[in-house]
Amino acid sequence: MRFNNKVFDINTHPYLFEDVCKSKEDLDFAIKITGLYHNGLAAMHEVFARLDCTKIDFSVLSPLDLSSAYGRKLATNEQVKELVEKYPDYFIGFASVDPSEANAADALRYAFKELDLKGVYLFPALQNFCPEGCAPLDDIAKLCIEFDRPMLVDCGCSPYPNLTSKYSHPLQWEEFIFRHPELRICLSRFAWPWNREMYMLMLKFRNVYTDTSIVYFDDPKQMYHQMFTVDMGPKWLDRSFRHQVMFGSGDPGLEQIRQLNAIRNLDMREESKELILSQNALEFMGYKKDMRWVHD
Amino acid sequence: MIKRDTFYVQTTKTHQYILITEEVERIVENSGIKDGVVFVITNHTTTGITVNEALECLESDFKNFMEKLAPDDDGYSHARYLASYSAMANNAPCHMRSMVAGNHCVFNVIDGKLSRRFAQEIYLDEFDGPQNRSITVTVMGEA
Repeated sequence: MRFNNKVFDINTHPYLFEDVCKSKEDLDFAIKITGLYHNGLAAMHEVFARLDCTKIDFSVLSPLDLSSAYGRKLATNEQVKELVEKYPDYFIGFASVDPSEANAADALRYAFKELDLKGVYLFPALQNFCPEGCAPLDDIAKLCIEFDRPMLVDCGCSPYPNLTSKYSHPLQWEEFIFRHPELRICLSRFAWPWNREMYMLMLKFRNVYTDTSIVYFDDPKQMYHQMFTVDMGPKWLDRSFRHQVMFGSGDPGLEQIRQLNAIRNLDMREESKELILSQNALEFMGYKKDMRWVHD
Repeated sequence: MIKRDTFYVQTTKTHQYILITEEVERIVENSGIKDGVVFVITNHTTTGITVNEALECLESDFKNFMEKLAPDDDGYSHARYLASYSAMANNAPCHMRSMVAGNHCVFNVIDGKLSRRFAQEIYLDEFDGPQNRSITVTVMGEA
């Protein structure tokens, strides 16, 4: 694995990649879902130029299965596998399944076993399912544990339009997390604006992670200052959560470059920044097993 | 007669000055226009088209000058969520620098060639890269 610059972006999506959007219908659907009305297609050389410029070693690419909500997928597991095979120096691929579909567990087993995808991505607010009491999620969790793969969940406020946020609350996952202590799960975006609930979940459950795709106001530097030193106590991230926060940009939608620069300039221990930028992602994805901190 | 051509540049840095003189000259020579003017126009709002001497030291000075004029961190009103983009607008300094640089340059076309002095080079100024940028060259005159 190429690992030069020690940066993983745990939360990116190929929805607008030219290798994925191959028709006007694909592009129109991606724009409708993401609301990215002015971005247009991302040429692959443009994607790589940005990753090289930001010195991101790997982007974790997640598709999104919207079968029951929209009757189609926003990038498929097979397309992600193709991207990973074609560009192994840039991408790690996750799968997506729709918990409301009867074949969700079978589709995930196939994605893990045959497509060798490294985790599963869910987006309850867009996939239109309520995490609390969603029985198929238990089967998905068991498969993740069986294959030693993590679960990434879009939580909190999404910048995408046309969705309600009632299924984005992190506490909807508490009982599920309680039932699956071996599952590594990331509830993204600090679940903002329910970040206090997110702090509680991270305190209670060491298998719970979050990411930094939380730029809703100001610029990344100012937003992180607000989040990490005003909303949170100024040392909470460095002292208490540094093993459970990963760099995730949420690209497309929230841009990588300025978020990454803002994290690199956070006022905290350099080793904490290294955890956020890379080491926690390695643990989350199961590449690194030395998790002594869990028992501290 | 008017001849128009567009070319693309994949930039590689957040703030970068890229020479495009040769590409513009090629378009002028292929236009068939012998006597007139050429406009070089960027199609973006966070780039510039400028003319200057192509020296590494000067490029470094342009960069410092722009960053002093429009610092990265200056409490810009633009730093907010834009519903029309479904995205954050965190690139106000890039827009400021673009406004200072301007969106185009103009040269004479004489005897079918772009007319310039030896020190005059054309730059695409990237202020919000890396991105795939398009530049339109319009040649107007008599064949």
